[in-house]
Amino acid sequence: MWYGPNLQRSYKYMMFASKMPSLRIDQSDLKCKNGCDYYGNPQWQGYCSKCHREQMQRQRKAAAGKAVKTSPPPPKPEQKKQERSLKLTSHSSFSKFEEKRLRQSETLKKANLLKFSVFRKSNTDEQDHSERRPPEFKIPAMVNEGMKTDFRVRFPQLTTQVDRDARMFVYSFIMDVIKCANVMTVDELSERVQRHYQRFMKHMEVSPHFAQVDSDTRELLMDFVEKHAMTYLHELPSVVFSPSGTDDERADRAMSERIQQLSWVGEKHLECKLDRNSATCRQLLYKAISELLGMDSAWWAGGKLGRVRRCCRHVLALCAAPGAPASADDLLPALIFTVLKANPPRLVSNINFVTRFCNAQRLMTGEGGYYFTNLCCAVSFIENLSAESLNMDKKEFDCYMAMPASIGGSAWAAALSLCGATREAEEQQAMAEKILAQTQDIERRAEQLATNAVTFEEQIAKKVQDVLAKTPLEIKPRRELPRIGKFKEISTAPLIDLENGHQQQTYQPASISPQPYQPASIPQEPYEPATQPEPRVVVEETTEKLNILGFEVIEKESPSKSPPNPDQNWDLKQTNSMELLTPSPLGFTPFDSRSMDELMTPDEFGSDNLAPGLSNINYDIDLSDFSGENSIADDAPKFDPKDPFSPEALKKEFDPFAPQTSREQYKMLETYDEFSLVDPKTHVQSDPFEVIHRTEGSPTKENASILDDSPTSVCLPSPLQPQSSGKPA
Amino acid sequence: MTTAPGGTNNFKVVLLGEGCVGKTSLLLRYIEDKFNDKHLTTLQATFLNKRLNIKGKRINLSIWDTAGQEKFHALGPIYYRNSNGAILVYDITDEDSFGKVKNWVKELKKMLGSDIVLIIAGNKVDLEHERTVPLEEAESYANMVGAKHYYTSAKLNQGVEELFLDLTREMLEKYEQNSQTEVNRTSQVLVVDDETPVQSSCCSGTKSN
Repeated sequence: MWYGPNLQRSYKYMMFASKMPSLRIDQSDLKCKNGCDYYGNPQWQGYCSKCHREQMQRQRKAAAGKAVKTSPPPPKPEQKKQERSLKLTSHSSFSKFEEKRLRQSETLKKANLLKFSVFRKSNTDEQDHSERRPPEFKIPAMVNEGMKTDFRVRFPQLTTQVDRDARMFVYSFIMDVIKCANVMTVDELSERVQRHYQRFMKHMEVSPHFAQVDSDTRELLMDFVEKHAMTYLHELPSVVFSPSGTDDERADRAMSERIQQLSWVGEKHLECKLDRNSATCRQLLYKAISELLGMDSAWWAGGKLGRVRRCCRHVLALCAAPGAPASADDLLPALIFTVLKANPPRLVSNINFVTRFCNAQRLMTGEGGYYFTNLCCAVSFIENLSAESLNMDKKEFDCYMAMPASIGGSAWAAALSLCGATREAEEQQAMAEKILAQTQDIERRAEQLATNAVTFEEQIAKKVQDVLAKTPLEIKPRRELPRIGKFKEISTAPLIDLENGHQQQTYQPASISPQPYQPASIPQEPYEPATQPEPRVVVEETTEKLNILGFEVIEKESPSKSPPNPDQNWDLKQTNSMELLTPSPLGFTPFDSRSMDELMTPDEFGSDNLAPGLSNINYDIDLSDFSGENSIADDAPKFDPKDPFSPEALKKEFDPFAPQTSREQYKMLETYDEFSLVDPKTHVQSDPFEVIHRTEGSPTKENASILDDSPTSVCLPSPLQPQSSGKPA
Repeated sequence: MTTAPGGTNNFKVVLLGEGCVGKTSLLLRYIEDKFNDKHLTTLQATFLNKRLNIKGKRINLSIWDTAGQEKFHALGPIYYRNSNGAILVYDITDEDSFGKVKNWVKELKKMLGSDIVLIIAGNKVDLEHERTVPLEEAESYANMVGAKHYYTSAKLNQGVEELFLDLTREMLEKYEQNSQTEVNRTSQVLVVDDETPVQSSCCSGTKSN
């Protein structure tokens, strides 16, 4: 067990306590505790140096043994996992607490810090080792996490083993440094740190984990490790950065004061070629100074070196004559001048930190190392600056030194401050431009969005239109249904109208063209009238020769008789076509009907035209109600002869669509039939008759075939039959 | 001298000498020879990292130029600390610069012992007719202090390449000798490092005793 300073201190007190009463210190008390003849020293726990060293080695061995014992967690993985998972929450809070305490400790002096670290070791070690893996937990988790994420970003190609090794190393490194910081002088600590670096380097060469890692990546890994270890250690006060054992802080202050005192030193004194009036020169100097000032804010040696490197590059650009590259002879004076003008904070501490704890290899070689060496030279020169080194009279020099600061330097200070202002202005300008660009971009986007919205709207509208254009074909039939319904309802009325019309027609001669009659007959359906007249015309034409008079007669007489005229076939065809059209509610489109009629009527291709009609009839059959009339028609063949032509009959064919009305009509018709039979002159009554006959007549021939094909046709007759049966009665 | 991971040997070389003897010119010549084909604009001629391959060994040569002004002479130790080789340049037309070289040699011998490889370079041989430093004197002195002597001309690019190459070879030899004779003994710094583990963390005891 190694209790470090605690033990030392407690031992000191113990000694005092035990010896206090005597108030005298014997020779024996001063001698080594071990009993050898050398003098002991309370600092070495009462041992002489030799014995103390042995003692320490023994203790370390023991500690190492203990570490070996404890570090690999005893192999009870299942239990452990459970425990871990159970204690995870409490543990994390505990570690947080630890972290907090560590933060507090940071504000304390080094001894306290160490005590804490020791306390943590003795306490948490034993408790937590069993619960967690040894390496990661004591250092604040953010170090570990930061390393993990950073590793993943910087070395995505490397294995997790490398990551783990690196973190292990950083862990042990930090712990060791914290442990040793109190006990060792800075130089020893620095050596120890260097040894750690070398150890890791060797580890990289030896370890199989690093077998595939090439040398460049190894260097990067070395930097990576150093960065994370030192970044953490840098934060701890008085451990690695301006350690308590040194007078770095005092040296910082002294340096700062000295630089202030030397503010009068100008470019002429240093024999460097700088032009204060040149804007580029000022800019470069300003940049160099800001980099140099930034050195203090870098957390690790590599970062500081990077700053110095950038600074020196600016300085080199500053003193490089056009055509000839800058030489070391130019660099150093310019750098000295830069340092004098910059007066960087904590300069000595920073330099010492880098010299002590930077990886020695980097410091000795590499660009950063070279520039850093130059910086060291510059600082050293400033420290030892004398009248001789400036080639000036001693008295004059003393005079300058005695003067309050900021004489002569003010010109440069003004130039630099101006430079800073311009730089700031430039930055702001750049920022403004950036913002402007952004706003423009946003504006552009907004416009684009607007146009997009418009086009989208248009597209949608177009689509809607397209859809509307496409769909009417589908929609219309749906609309027709209600229309048909309407039609059904209305059907009675038009019938009457028709009848009226017919009546009128009947009075008129047959030669009169039906066109004027059409609108009058069916105002609701504009197409219908078109269909109706044509057959008539045909009828007129065809029947003209045979019996024009008869036509008239037929129209009038149709209800009364069913004359077996040669026209009959014709009528049948007509009726067929009309039937096909009319009874089919779905297929019922005025166009169709018209076209059918057109096809049918002018030429007497009755047989040919029947075929398409059949399909239409199928539709008819679907609506049993409407098709009912067909069945009626079946029963009504007797009447067929009665109405050979008569467009009125066509009109009457609409009746079947409205079953209710039709039925009423049928009832009416039944009565009318009788009436019609009785009184053929009452045309109104006779027309329905005719219609019925027509429908009847055509299906009889056609339906014969249709009925065979369509199953519905079988159904059709049944409901209607009673009516039909009623009819004959 | 350190061994970088991957077996690359890092050697640090400093260029020392009075101002205006041509240190920077030598370096610049060497740099430009190296980068000639690349047309790299050399902003600075103060520092050069050069990778060489000698006897199958990868060598990283860091050549540091130093400020030669007299007032910066005192800063020499900061520059040549930990260096493996030093090129001491003098102007053959300038007797004083040769005297300066002698000073440097003394200082280096005193500070770094025999660990450092010394090379004395008489520069500006293109100005042979103005020679003031006798050839025999220079060479005999070089032999006396165990340094190699070269005549170079940065202007005519004479002997520059050879100088650096020989220096590197010698440094490599010395390094290998050291590593043979003393295991792990690589440089003065590392010597300290290797001994310290024994005393190591037992604090300041040994010193004060």
